[in-house]
Amino acid sequence: MTLTRRHLLGMGAALGGVAALGGWAFWQGKGQSPLLLSARNDDAGKHYCTGYFLDGKRAFATPVAERCHDVARHPFLPLALFVGRRPARESYLIDLRDGGLLQIVRGQPQRHFYGHAVFHGAGEWLYATENDLNEPGRGVLGRYRLDQGNLQLVHEGEVPTHGVGPHQLAWMPDGESLVVANGGIRTEGSREKTNLNSMSPSLVVMDRHGELHSKETLQHSQSSIRHLAVASDGTIITGQQYQGEAWETVPLLAVKRPEQPYQPFPVGASQLAMMDQYTASIAIHGERRQVAMTAPRGNRFFVWDLDTAETLVDVPMEDCAGVGVAGDGFAVTSGQGRCRYFSYQDGQVASHWLDLPGGWWDNHLRLG
Amino acid sequence: MRVMVMALLTVLLSACSNPRQEVTVQLANQLLLPAHEQWHGSNGALRVSAEGFCADELDQAAVEQAFYRTLQSWSYLQPLMLGPLAEGNRSWQVQFWPDKRNLVAHQVEALLDSHSPLTREALEGASVVVQGLTAFEYVLFDKAVDLAGQRPRYCPLLIGIARHQQALSAEVLALWEGPEGMASRLGDFPNDRYASADEALGSILRTQITAVDVLKKKLGVPMGRLNKGVVQPWQAEAWRSRHSIGNLQSSLSGARAVWERVRSLVGDAGLVTRIDAAYENTGQKLAGLPAPLVEMVQDKASLPRLQALYESLDNLETLQQVELARDLGIQIGFNANDGD
Repeated sequence: MTLTRRHLLGMGAALGGVAALGGWAFWQGKGQSPLLLSARNDDAGKHYCTGYFLDGKRAFATPVAERCHDVARHPFLPLALFVGRRPARESYLIDLRDGGLLQIVRGQPQRHFYGHAVFHGAGEWLYATENDLNEPGRGVLGRYRLDQGNLQLVHEGEVPTHGVGPHQLAWMPDGESLVVANGGIRTEGSREKTNLNSMSPSLVVMDRHGELHSKETLQHSQSSIRHLAVASDGTIITGQQYQGEAWETVPLLAVKRPEQPYQPFPVGASQLAMMDQYTASIAIHGERRQVAMTAPRGNRFFVWDLDTAETLVDVPMEDCAGVGVAGDGFAVTSGQGRCRYFSYQDGQVASHWLDLPGGWWDNHLRLG
Repeated sequence: MRVMVMALLTVLLSACSNPRQEVTVQLANQLLLPAHEQWHGSNGALRVSAEGFCADELDQAAVEQAFYRTLQSWSYLQPLMLGPLAEGNRSWQVQFWPDKRNLVAHQVEALLDSHSPLTREALEGASVVVQGLTAFEYVLFDKAVDLAGQRPRYCPLLIGIARHQQALSAEVLALWEGPEGMASRLGDFPNDRYASADEALGSILRTQITAVDVLKKKLGVPMGRLNKGVVQPWQAEAWRSRHSIGNLQSSLSGARAVWERVRSLVGDAGLVTRIDAAYENTGQKLAGLPAPLVEMVQDKASLPRLQALYESLDNLETLQQVELARDLGIQIGFNANDGD
């Protein structure tokens, strides 16, 4: 039987029903257990697209050829694209009901994925950051239309990201503009970085058809702008990875508030030193106005007040990886240890171990 | 009091019923914490010697001996450097290596040119390049430095570095000790750092295995292995004091001390024998080197011996990183080593 949008719409309700059966021990009475989507490896080094409910119940673990990075979930259909990690030539469209592989989305000739993509809110288009290998490092936004009859993504052109080495992207509150983290690093179809002394990272806001709205940079050209999250008021938080000298301590978070210039988020020097020059995943809790960030090299997880920059959570966590909003707080996965849940309320940090499998989680997760 | 005793007994009984927890507790209390205490002690002695030398109460040889002891304890500590010292950029404050562009010499002289005499505030506000043992070594051993003739210039830096090191090790030790300290995080599970003894043991082993990889780098960099075979003698660790090989020996001893406590957990007796042999073989090769590393890498006739040592370290690393990790079910690394 060929899967169609109508089938999936019907089964989307079933997915919600399954989710409602779950429940974390500390989550009772607060609603259904969310579905966590993330790329994961196993002990043998094989790659999977996985879905787990936060109570630990596995929804699926689909083996795939290439290691994935982030996940783009469709706005209303129970499907998601697990995006191949740089320099992957494949991404995987997955049926979230059972993990079925709907499509291996192959990159265009002379293009590779960078690990991030987003679906447009209307559900018809997907946008993925990609590398133009004809002009290595030149960032492009690959545009894919979802063929809703056959549930296949079809490549239909591309536009420039107006920068080098694009990585994560996200929708601005208008749902039509995208903010793109151009990491500034040139690679040529491998993981080798070829321009560390002449990097040009930038934060770009553009419309989804390619028109540039703004392009801003930070003081340190060797701070690769990699990951970001956007609050409902349009505040953008970015996380950087520093490619300069190993002993230097430079700002690794930045903020662009509405109508204000892009600038460092005021994090103390001792906290910066704990990050070991590397930030991974960022999530914003819209209701609580909190921003969370993982620093896997520094084995540290942080939460700050988005508006005052006050530190709310600053705890050790081995190889902390993906972070996402769940209920009152944040679920955090780990590349090496147990996954955890953190929340901050009334001056108190609450932390719980999650019954998810430990280790091998890639740096991003999606919850919902 | 009775409650505390009961709680302690509970921890001990729990540890005794879990061999991995027992080993982890032993590693923390009998190896990791004492190594940090030893390092702190050597920093105290370094400060006393520097102050004595600068007050004309001790000769330079006494400072050099204290410096060697500090290098030794620091090198021994590196495979055991779990937690506080590995965090917050602290280890860069202890030693600046590799120094690819001779920054230590340039920045020490620039700092002393701009601050005469050097104040404590100026040193504390300066780069890590000039705060650690590599800068201390430069002043003490570099032929370009006339220490005997220019004590007023260099003594404030020697004393300042030694005091900085002692304050740093005191800070780190405080983070290890006490009810909220690192040692307690390696004894009672779950805690805010580790969900289980397995996780803590994995973290200890990752630190140790990474340190063996760093030993390869400390040998391979001056050999030119990362420079298309062109030797780089001045990028050897501690080349000015000609103590590179001593450092490697101390670090290997620290790594071996971890292995000695972990070996009882290994199921494959053949693997135990192979890792024992790898440590023995590497130790013998190191002990048999006839000259300082900075000289040997410049002597083509010595290169086969260095190459054999490198291969021995490589074998040791593979045995631990692949076979030992598999035997113990320890995950070596993921995003922290290869993220995106």
